[in-house]
Amino acid sequence: MNALANPEVGSFINKNFVSSFQKVATFQIVNGQKQGGNVAAYFCAPDGRVLHCVAGPVDAATMLREAKWVVDGVKKAMEENRKTEVPFKALFRRWHAERLRQEYGLVIEPATFDAPAPREDDPLTYNDPTGRPVLPVLILPPIDGPDVQFRAMAKEAAADAAPGANVVACRKGGRWSLGNQGRVHQLMSAYSMSKIEKVYATVFESILGERVSTKPVITINARDGERRSVCLTCESKAAAQD
Amino acid sequence: MSKSILTLFLAAFLAAVPARAADESCGKCGKQTYGTSVVWSGSPSEAATKAKAEEKLVFVLHVSGHFEDPKFT
Repeated sequence: MNALANPEVGSFINKNFVSSFQKVATFQIVNGQKQGGNVAAYFCAPDGRVLHCVAGPVDAATMLREAKWVVDGVKKAMEENRKTEVPFKALFRRWHAERLRQEYGLVIEPATFDAPAPREDDPLTYNDPTGRPVLPVLILPPIDGPDVQFRAMAKEAAADAAPGANVVACRKGGRWSLGNQGRVHQLMSAYSMSKIEKVYATVFESILGERVSTKPVITINARDGERRSVCLTCESKAAAQD
Repeated sequence: MSKSILTLFLAAFLAAVPARAADESCGKCGKQTYGTSVVWSGSPSEAATKAKAEEKLVFVLHVSGHFEDPKFT
């Protein structure tokens, strides 16, 4: 919130983005003290696919830097896509992996291909009768290990003191400290340009450690037009007659 | 008598506080800012439609609590 009150951040965001907010979780006030609660800012394409995310409260300089990185990245990706025809998604995922390597000293292989999603009417797809629940928390892509060139520098940058610093394991069994933003790059190197409803639960629950409240999701993604009530008795009778 | 006046005054004050917080808007353009420097559109889908028309990107803030009222964010 403090970062968004900054006039420079505000004018940059107003110039390049159309902004919106959603309530996705809650907090408690116990004896006048706020408990829990968090914030995540998503920079998305106009079709709702997430390009980048800032997890947790940050200062104005960080917010501005990340917003500029996205805007510059989009321009760069459009140019590169025109020249080389490398998909937008692959470029952004590579750049997230590159930032993880340069800023946090950890190497990760960006996932530049998504497996096809199962169809909703597929007989092997389970449909939750309560409607549309929150998508499961995504599995973060594995870290290959430290980058010998940048790891020492990143260590110097006090990785342990980063907000939300947590231990992550690499493929080789090593343990590394990675803050919220580092884990965002880890997530984005595999899921950048995914729909916001696919990644937000992971950002809130896996990175920020907050429980997501499903209620706003049901309201936003209302599918009442598509839903119908099914009487199992009549359906089974009809099936038997056929 | 004084007790009922006090109750009325308290009720009027409590009713006025959330209304003021919800109406927090930019002094220049009159758009909703909720105590930030950012102008907020309605829902994310409205923002996406507007962004497509204006050739902009979409900024979505996910928060805990009641964003419209700074006391509950």
